[in-house]
Amino acid sequence: MARFHSLDVVDVRKETRDAVVVTLKPRGEDAALFDFTQGQYLTFRRKFDEDELRRSYSICAGKGDGLLKVGIKRVDGGAFSTWANEELTAGTTLEAMPPMGRFFTPIEPEAARNYLGFAGGSGITPVLSIIKTVLAAEPRSTFTLVYANRQISSIMFREELEDLKNRYLGRLSIVHVLESEAQDIDLFTGRVDAEKCAALFRTWIDLPSISTAFICGPEPMMLAIAGALKEHGLAEAQIKFELFASGQPGRARKRAVSAEATASNSTTEATVTLDGATRSFRMPKEGQSLLDAALSANIDAPYACKAGVCSTCRAKVLEGETEMAVNHALEDYEVRQGYVLTCQCFPLSDKVVVSYDQ
Amino acid sequence: MSEDTETMPIEDYLAQGGQLTSPANVPPRYRGELLRLMASFVDSELAASAGFADTINTAPGITARIAACKITLEKADHAGRVLDLMGDFGADQGRYATQHPWADRLPRDAALGQARHGADMRLAVFHYPIEGWVDAVVMNVLQGLAAGVTLDEMARVSYAPLADVFRAIAPRERRHTELGVTGLAEIAATEAGRAEAKASVVYWRPRVADSFGSLASARFETQKRFGLRHRPNEALLADWTAQVQATLAPLGLD
Repeated sequence: MARFHSLDVVDVRKETRDAVVVTLKPRGEDAALFDFTQGQYLTFRRKFDEDELRRSYSICAGKGDGLLKVGIKRVDGGAFSTWANEELTAGTTLEAMPPMGRFFTPIEPEAARNYLGFAGGSGITPVLSIIKTVLAAEPRSTFTLVYANRQISSIMFREELEDLKNRYLGRLSIVHVLESEAQDIDLFTGRVDAEKCAALFRTWIDLPSISTAFICGPEPMMLAIAGALKEHGLAEAQIKFELFASGQPGRARKRAVSAEATASNSTTEATVTLDGATRSFRMPKEGQSLLDAALSANIDAPYACKAGVCSTCRAKVLEGETEMAVNHALEDYEVRQGYVLTCQCFPLSDKVVVSYDQ
Repeated sequence: MSEDTETMPIEDYLAQGGQLTSPANVPPRYRGELLRLMASFVDSELAASAGFADTINTAPGITARIAACKITLEKADHAGRVLDLMGDFGADQGRYATQHPWADRLPRDAALGQARHGADMRLAVFHYPIEGWVDAVVMNVLQGLAAGVTLDEMARVSYAPLADVFRAIAPRERRHTELGVTGLAEIAATEAGRAEAKASVVYWRPRVADSFGSLASARFETQKRFGLRHRPNEALLADWTAQVQATLAPLGLD
């Protein structure tokens, strides 16, 4: 299981009005662990009041840059991103897991490929890492970037991209598409949707020559672009996605546990929610796991190993007290939030309320 | 990975064919179904590898021996690749791989149907014992064709890292089947061999068919909503049935 390591913040640079680029340095013994691949991300953890928050941000440095940098755009109500944009300074220590993610294709120095990238807003971060790495490490390859933003002032890494264009003359072309600012050419104004893609493929991008397309942006944009790419002949395997981590709430929700009075019954009233349907049944406190009890009650709960190893049967205890016999899969912070492995979970209180939907 | 405001509910995104890319953006129910699906694949591959290991020593000749080794090796490797993805979700990979006695088999006449059995999630077909070389080759061909159909389906799975793995291993799994078909052609060249192979086909055919799961499955609807599945079990079974006929008929085994 991945563990957290301390990273020293050596620089925090304002990139746009609401985005910063944070440069990090692993401690000596951790250097190899943080030897990332282009397009990967780091997961940070930090305590806000009593809640531990975990947030993932993409690396924006190239593999050969010798630096570890992430881009953090502020989201409304986002505790971590607001803190990073307003309070984070050089000299701070951050905790992060080693780089993760599979948003890349292997680099082959001899290859002469044409890559295509679509980035929406801060979705540029991992794409920039890929662009830098490809241009430096595959000298015969080219990259075309379609970069969607609201307006010029919100474009992240605008100067850096211009510099790359000049440094790798003829190998990087960039199409800026601005939603709310008119440009000389109509094609470059508006949203990147299926229609816009079709127009780009007719005039600016020779799709049959493209080996891989990378897309990172909000969901509707990714759907539209992926659909257009497939419609125009790209195979599924040629399209690589990275989704915004938009499903993450701004704040960790607290575990809602009512510490019930000491239990006296030998059975428990269990209430289990799965796929929006809630069922109640009685189960013994001993001898049968919550998962097995749910399965016996004809609830089609997910599970696999039944040994506390695989985490398939994870659910959240919303009310009541339980204990786990074995846990090889959940981390401490998940347990603190109320998550349990139901295959290893036994009720202690007279009533438990558990959900597989949260 | 970063955030923006122009997003949509992840369920809608999935329903429209969207793909997820990391444990950080999968919803809880999706997580459960995805892990279940991955565990079923890992367990089946580990059980298949373990079951095939014994056949190495029954292989007639060096080419056959190498083919059996290759299948044993690569099925374990394929299990490892998917188990790596489960590790991203917190699964304890070291413990998982040694959790179950993968070589254990039930008696030849056990009647499992489509039901899973025991503590692991392997497909029921991997609980039946292989008896000798011809039996191993027949099982490998029939199950290999089934794996091919399943991998075609799974290459479209909405969890992009898993789709990548399935696409990468599909050609190697296909090669396992081709090795099997070559071996089966040699076996079927003699009358005695053909008779033995036919008996094995009679044994394995319904058991592999069962591994496509129940028709009109309720779980399929959930999986479909999440983009984890696309075509119903019936359609996959029909594809396999046609492929089996096309493979066995020229060998006089249908």
